[in-house]
Amino acid sequence: MVFSSLLFLFFFLPTTLLLYFCGSRKMKNSILLIVSLIFYAWGEPIYIFLMIFSAITDYFHGLFIQKHRLTAPIKAKVGLLSSIIINLSLLSFFKYADFLIENINNLFNMNINALDLPLPIGLSFYTFQTMSYAIDVYRGHVKAQRNPLTLALYVCLFPQLIAGPIVRYEIIEHELKNRRVTLNQFSEGVKIFLIGLGKKVLLANNIGFLWSEIQQQSPAELSVLSAWMGIAAFGLQLYFDFSGYSDMSIGLGKMFGFNFPQNFNYPFVSRNVSEFWRRWHMTLGAWFRDYVYIPLGGSRKGKYRLYLNLFIVWGLTGLWHGAAWNFVAWGLYFGVLIAIEKAGLLVFLEKMHPIFQHIYAFVIVMISWVLFVFEDLSMSLTYLKIMFGFSGQVLVNERFMYDAYTNAILFLLAFLGSVPIWKVLRNKMTRRHKVIDEILIPVCCLLILVLSTAYLADDSYNPFLYFRF
Amino acid sequence: MSIHKKFFVGAFLLFIYGIGLLNVLASDRAFSERENRPLAQMPEWTLSNFYSGKLTARLDTYMSDQFLWKDGWVKLKAMSEWASLKQENNGVFFGKDGFLIEPFEKPGVQFDKNMEYMKRFAANANGIQSYVLLAPTSIALYEDKLPLFAQTSSERDAFETAKEVLASEMEVIDVYDALKSQSNEHIYFKTDHHWTMRGAYLAYKESAEILGIKPYKEDDFNIETVAENFYGTLHSKTNTIGVEPDKIDVYLPKFETSHTVTYEDGRKSESLYEWDYLNKKDKYSLFLDGNHALVKIETGVRNGRKLAVVKDSYAHAFIPFLTNHFEEIHVLDLRYYHSDFLMYLNEQNISEVLFLYNVANFAKDPNVIWLSQSK
Repeated sequence: MVFSSLLFLFFFLPTTLLLYFCGSRKMKNSILLIVSLIFYAWGEPIYIFLMIFSAITDYFHGLFIQKHRLTAPIKAKVGLLSSIIINLSLLSFFKYADFLIENINNLFNMNINALDLPLPIGLSFYTFQTMSYAIDVYRGHVKAQRNPLTLALYVCLFPQLIAGPIVRYEIIEHELKNRRVTLNQFSEGVKIFLIGLGKKVLLANNIGFLWSEIQQQSPAELSVLSAWMGIAAFGLQLYFDFSGYSDMSIGLGKMFGFNFPQNFNYPFVSRNVSEFWRRWHMTLGAWFRDYVYIPLGGSRKGKYRLYLNLFIVWGLTGLWHGAAWNFVAWGLYFGVLIAIEKAGLLVFLEKMHPIFQHIYAFVIVMISWVLFVFEDLSMSLTYLKIMFGFSGQVLVNERFMYDAYTNAILFLLAFLGSVPIWKVLRNKMTRRHKVIDEILIPVCCLLILVLSTAYLADDSYNPFLYFRF
Repeated sequence: MSIHKKFFVGAFLLFIYGIGLLNVLASDRAFSERENRPLAQMPEWTLSNFYSGKLTARLDTYMSDQFLWKDGWVKLKAMSEWASLKQENNGVFFGKDGFLIEPFEKPGVQFDKNMEYMKRFAANANGIQSYVLLAPTSIALYEDKLPLFAQTSSERDAFETAKEVLASEMEVIDVYDALKSQSNEHIYFKTDHHWTMRGAYLAYKESAEILGIKPYKEDDFNIETVAENFYGTLHSKTNTIGVEPDKIDVYLPKFETSHTVTYEDGRKSESLYEWDYLNKKDKYSLFLDGNHALVKIETGVRNGRKLAVVKDSYAHAFIPFLTNHFEEIHVLDLRYYHSDFLMYLNEQNISEVLFLYNVANFAKDPNVIWLSQSK
């Protein structure tokens, strides 16, 4: 099931809230676990067993690692390795097997049949969460969970199950056992949830529609500005789709008393690539930092190792996003740029006018979306050539003019939605904080709810990009 | 605890619980007049449905089809789209002067295939005279009504191609100029994808020479306005606001006529018009009761001429004029009629065939292939 559906909004959520708040304190975790399983089973009746399997193995691995980590470190290490291998095998089998087969076929001219398995929803997210659990138990950061239902709830918790944020066990360890929902927190949760809903339904879907229209034009008909507008639309769609989902997740978490980590922090205000990645999909970046980059030695083992480590981390980050070479290229592209920035470009950039820095970051990020969106690298090159005027396309045509004025308001809203508008407003009107917080924001949120319902009821274009990750 | 938070949370809960509950309580609708289609009903809760994922998929459709105040939500969305300067919805442009216009899509391989099927049929059908009338849709006549910078492929060009390809095997009737010259008249609906009966009349007059008939003059008909509040299919697609409804005129002969209309299920009628549709949304179906696989019309004309019309719904407003010139007219719709067509012609002793489609539909209709069923 997805959050941005009528079924979720008007049946699943009301029923869940009712059961949860009527249930006794002892029952609350069980109730949440059951509804989470139903939530997951909605789209994936079969793969639910995979998730339950994952939860059970991690439960036992956690206990095993904890039992031996002080007395028999070797055993603990074996336990950890076993957990990591199981998780990575699940991920590899369902997500990367066909990619591997395709490459083997190409390399050795063989003809192995692809498995064609549908990717279990949220697999990339929950395997990363459970791996962090095993590693943190091994490191002694957290105690292994003794109650299997509690650990199962951590793995299956529906708000963050499908598309992040990647919540580490230590962050909600306490809340899994002991949490209270105050009206304050609930109202904050509703607010964040509705903002996320609006991002997804009102912005991502509509601007994604523009991209799908532009994508359908043949390269020969595309004008230069259309190409830029198209890729900007795609980038905005991806951002609002994904950050909207994270917001809905965080908001729902709050309604049930959980505090999930922030996943996006206005990435489009960044002035360079390093900053962009501190603001974009923050929980994934932190995961790779803590569980791959730093264990590999980070920047402490000399320049050569630093660049190698960057190469590994960014190659993997790319691959995590999808089983295709373009995603690897996309990750490495960022890796190379971050390496260059570390090597001195940052110092140079910071001396420039901020506007120039924003333009730099904007162009770099736009190019990255071109790599991201086309699975075929030669398509990316064709598209980039058009964007930078190397294919002799016209700068503007009537089609661009039409798309531009009919989407102007949408772009304006998307712009406002991707910058910290409320913070700016609050700073401008220091005396009217109350008006903004108590009237303006709640009214806007409720308006979003009504409008989103209308857009969902007229079911048109409602894809969900992160289902493939 | 502050009152505004209570109010906010209360409003949110009221909204999701209220609409959720009302949805459960409201009884399901079987049919949507606005969309002119049957609505999904509650799926069966069986385990096998659940494992295969069908149950949940069907529940999603059911939910979206039966959602409370659906038409109102759709209208709200349309208003918001309109306010954000959108000039189209579901692929239909909000044109000037209240025209809703479907752009013409660049024809694909289906268009070439369809011409080929038709040509092959005409070449193989010995002793049968084939005519083809490919009618323009409103985009060809009202391109100037499109919103600023809106794009469309040229329907006229597609027609010219078809004319060239088909002319070797059959008589091609070209009504473009005849309609274009009268485009200020109400010859196409502004809210529906059909022509009006006046548009059909102009096409009839224009095709008379090729069909070998002497057309009646407009004075020979009483032109009656039978509906003034017609919102057609294009309006259903866009749901846009601030569009005036169309009126429907019907040309009723002043002279004496008689018809027996027999539908494929054996039902008979004395009239070419089913006036009950005037009380429904789908008013264009008043012509010959809308879509049927096979309709046989026996007229009072005694000249021995029998005509088969292979058609889409553009023919419905056109055929009433032909009934004054042929003794029998057999109307076949290849979307539903999948038997051997040539055999039917021979059995019924029919020696003339008129293909009547609008160009846009002809370019993408996957059913023309049924012509090649003939052995």
